[in-house]
Amino acid sequence: MLCKLAWGNVRRAGRDYLVYLLTLTLGVTVFYAFNTISMQVDIAGIDEKGLAQVMGSMLGDLTYFLAGVMAFLMVYANNFIMKRRKKEFGLYQVLGMGRGRVATIMALETVIVSVVAFVAGIVLGVGLSQLMTFFTASLFKTQIANFHFFFSVHAFNLTLACMLVMFVLTLLLNLRAVRRTKLIELMGAERRNESIKTRNPWIAIAIFAVGVVLVGVAYYRLLRDGFPLTATDSKLQEAMNQFGITTAMVTVGTFALFWGLSGMLIKLLQSLRGVYWRGLNMFTVRQLAAKVNTVCFSMGVIAMLLFLAITSVTCGMSIANVMNENLERYNPVDVSQTYAYYTPDTLDYYKEYVNPSEADRMVLADSTVDLYPAWHGKGKSAGNNDETGKKVNIADVAGEHVQIDSYLSYPVGGSNPSVTPSEMCKIMGEKLPKAFGGSNADAMGLYVTPASQYNKLRQMMGEEPVHIGHDQYLLTCDMGGELVDMYTKYMAGGHALTLGGHELKPATDKSDEDTAAIANSAMGSNPGTVVVSDELLSQLNLQPYSSSLLVNYKQGMDTTEADESIKYTVLDNLLVDGKEPGSWGTFITRSEMYAQAAQMNGLISYLAIYIGFVLVVACAAILSIQQLSNVADGSRSYRVLAQIGCDDRQIRHSVMAQQAVFFLFPLAVGLAHSFVALKVIIELVSIFGNMSIGGTVGLTCAIFLAAYGGYFLVTYLMSTGMVQAAIATRYSE
Amino acid sequence: MQTTHMATPVLEVAHLEKVYGALGNVTRALNDVSFTVNRGEFVGIMGASGSGKSTLLNCVSTIDSATSGTIRINGQDVTRMKQAKLSQFRREELGFIFQDSNLLDTLTARENIALPLTIARTNSAEISTRVQDVAARLSISQVLDKYPYQMSGGQQQRVAAARALVTDPTMIMADEPTGALDSKSARLLLESLEALNRRLRATVLMVTHDSFAASYTSRVLFIRDGKIFTELRRGDTDRREFFDRIMEVVAMMGGEGSDAL
Repeated sequence: MLCKLAWGNVRRAGRDYLVYLLTLTLGVTVFYAFNTISMQVDIAGIDEKGLAQVMGSMLGDLTYFLAGVMAFLMVYANNFIMKRRKKEFGLYQVLGMGRGRVATIMALETVIVSVVAFVAGIVLGVGLSQLMTFFTASLFKTQIANFHFFFSVHAFNLTLACMLVMFVLTLLLNLRAVRRTKLIELMGAERRNESIKTRNPWIAIAIFAVGVVLVGVAYYRLLRDGFPLTATDSKLQEAMNQFGITTAMVTVGTFALFWGLSGMLIKLLQSLRGVYWRGLNMFTVRQLAAKVNTVCFSMGVIAMLLFLAITSVTCGMSIANVMNENLERYNPVDVSQTYAYYTPDTLDYYKEYVNPSEADRMVLADSTVDLYPAWHGKGKSAGNNDETGKKVNIADVAGEHVQIDSYLSYPVGGSNPSVTPSEMCKIMGEKLPKAFGGSNADAMGLYVTPASQYNKLRQMMGEEPVHIGHDQYLLTCDMGGELVDMYTKYMAGGHALTLGGHELKPATDKSDEDTAAIANSAMGSNPGTVVVSDELLSQLNLQPYSSSLLVNYKQGMDTTEADESIKYTVLDNLLVDGKEPGSWGTFITRSEMYAQAAQMNGLISYLAIYIGFVLVVACAAILSIQQLSNVADGSRSYRVLAQIGCDDRQIRHSVMAQQAVFFLFPLAVGLAHSFVALKVIIELVSIFGNMSIGGTVGLTCAIFLAAYGGYFLVTYLMSTGMVQAAIATRYSE
Repeated sequence: MQTTHMATPVLEVAHLEKVYGALGNVTRALNDVSFTVNRGEFVGIMGASGSGKSTLLNCVSTIDSATSGTIRINGQDVTRMKQAKLSQFRREELGFIFQDSNLLDTLTARENIALPLTIARTNSAEISTRVQDVAARLSISQVLDKYPYQMSGGQQQRVAAARALVTDPTMIMADEPTGALDSKSARLLLESLEALNRRLRATVLMVTHDSFAASYTSRVLFIRDGKIFTELRRGDTDRREFFDRIMEVVAMMGGEGSDAL
């Protein structure tokens, strides 16, 4: 009997339950699909073990986050439905049904809806996860070799557990609601005039103004100070504190903005008498104001969530893009090996980390060493023992090669670089690029490299050599963006550099960033180098800093094979007269960098899109539920409007205007925040090159907007449907 | 008294029928109802619950559609009007007062009263003066800036009446306007309606099952089982006397409705 009643209720209250059902189904779908990622990675043919682990642990944390968002959504949707159903539960009690039985009916209704949502969600989730496999494969740039239908028991169990917890939670909330509400309130829920939460409009305007000011100041502070990432250790704490204050300001400001919004809106529109007293404008504004007052907190939350989503997605994907785009420039040769010299700054530091006999061997480097002849090593066990003990010689694979030596801009054993970015900026009268602020690159100064080596690399890359005379210099940098711009400007301005007492003039007015790499790298290896003639360099006796051997494989040699043959090499210590002037640094093959970048790009994009999507959909769902419940609450008003002769078109416009404000205002605030944050991020990231927000990012944003806009449209259509139904109900009923 | 003024009929209802339900299970809510209301009349429609009086008002006020028959208001047949035309018609010709005042919760009294004018896109200066005027007539000037929940039931109902009157409608439709009021507020509202009718020649059609309310009208139509049972004209008799005559008819009809007193 109770089951029948509950089933009938669910069917009859279909429209009310639809929102709940949709939200629940969506939650289950996303949750299940998200937790199948490790399986998708498998099927997409991404074989990197480390990646699966990294993703696994990141996803573990994100699952909790997602569950939290889902729980919030569900409680919200549940409250919506309880509000709608109050009267019916009241009626059962009036008819003499005990509270226990009413509660049972309600529990049964929740069970029915939850089960339907769960089944539908899992079915959709299974479908979605198959589709997402292709998406995953395209993000990680792999091919799906062997696609087969898959079902993840792990994800299923997780989702089920999550649903059960959520179910118990909503049930408890509902039971409490039934127990605590008075019968008279249940029955009379519809009839009474709602008391309107009004706020003194002047206070509201003041709060709104405070919000605007706080947000404005926070923007200003952020644009001025940037993110605290580039600060050096000593200033980091201070910078973090300042950043914390900025964050607090923008958060408080956002909430203040929404708190004061309604009062501001009313006063503003009332002052435009012709607009306010026209059509349904007055009704629209009052309706908005009344609702904004009750939901200003959640609007603030939504604005902040949208801000987070937009920023994280745009930023994450753009960084990945930039890295990908510049990969070619960062990796000019098939393989590179660096060697780092001991400098006055680093020698003592390194000595502490080795045993005394080795420490005794370590000396301050006073000249560079030739890496090519020294590149012999024994094969190292790398899981398979085939290569163990085999001697490896770079000459076996090397075709064209060049060694690039980088010196510091002070003599051997000295300190205080003579060429630093901040000094250069001072000469030009410009601000130091944000990326440099207090960083190592500035403290260390620019590198110095002989022209012959630079030109050899250019030749290897098919470029014409650049002539650099005895009293000339050239600035190079492979990091792109702001830094290259700065160096180019310096040279184009004809500014001189002083190195070891020699005044040098620019050899050309343009710095070619495509041939500026010092070694293969993921994000650039050369923050700034002064190229001078070999004769001058030999006179200056500068402190060696590092050498890199850049090697292209022999013509016609298979890259994979060549990589394999030297990949697992441990190089012998390089001794000069029994002394050790430095140590072997990084060994990087181009193919390895490309593979890593593809994966990194995939990972960042994946998480960014996923988190962003979940946030956007959650926001849109909350807004949608709010709006539908507003319309349902206001159905009496729409009926009255129709009765006093307001035509459908005007009513629809009013509904549209109200919902547009609710959907667009938080979006606008979120976008404004993102815009400012991204401006700072772009500046920061510009050490890696010019960040472009286009391509995939554009597409992703388009998808987000489509999802958000889709929710808006569906909400609007459902609302007009509800309004029509309300108008059609005869008033005497 | 209206005999001297009965220049034009405002409302002509002829052979009106309203049937609910499908074949085999038919409820005849209105059965061949015909009557006329002249300009400046205050007409009451009385009947027990389920007699069809509310259906009649709904049909006349264009909120519900008739099954057959014609309803002419100011010469226009509303049963043949299209939906869009109906909104405009309601806006321009009719004013409504409901049992529960049906004010919009989020608007102040002033805004509630102004609503029909803004919908019709009257200019704001005119809106302001007309709202002031009508509020003064119904003595609610002092509550104009209050919200419905801040007003008494009587005040709310008078604001609703003001909203109905502000457009100078051809006819005011009142559906149990005193139904939710205490007797003092009810009397105030009825006196206001009576005064409007007397002084401004407003045509009022009021549905009620309360004989006391009906006694304020100039003519009462009694409806039973979907038909007009009889009608009473007040003529020159005073309200007390008219009330007694109404009570007699009510008693004759079966007593329903007499519980109001």
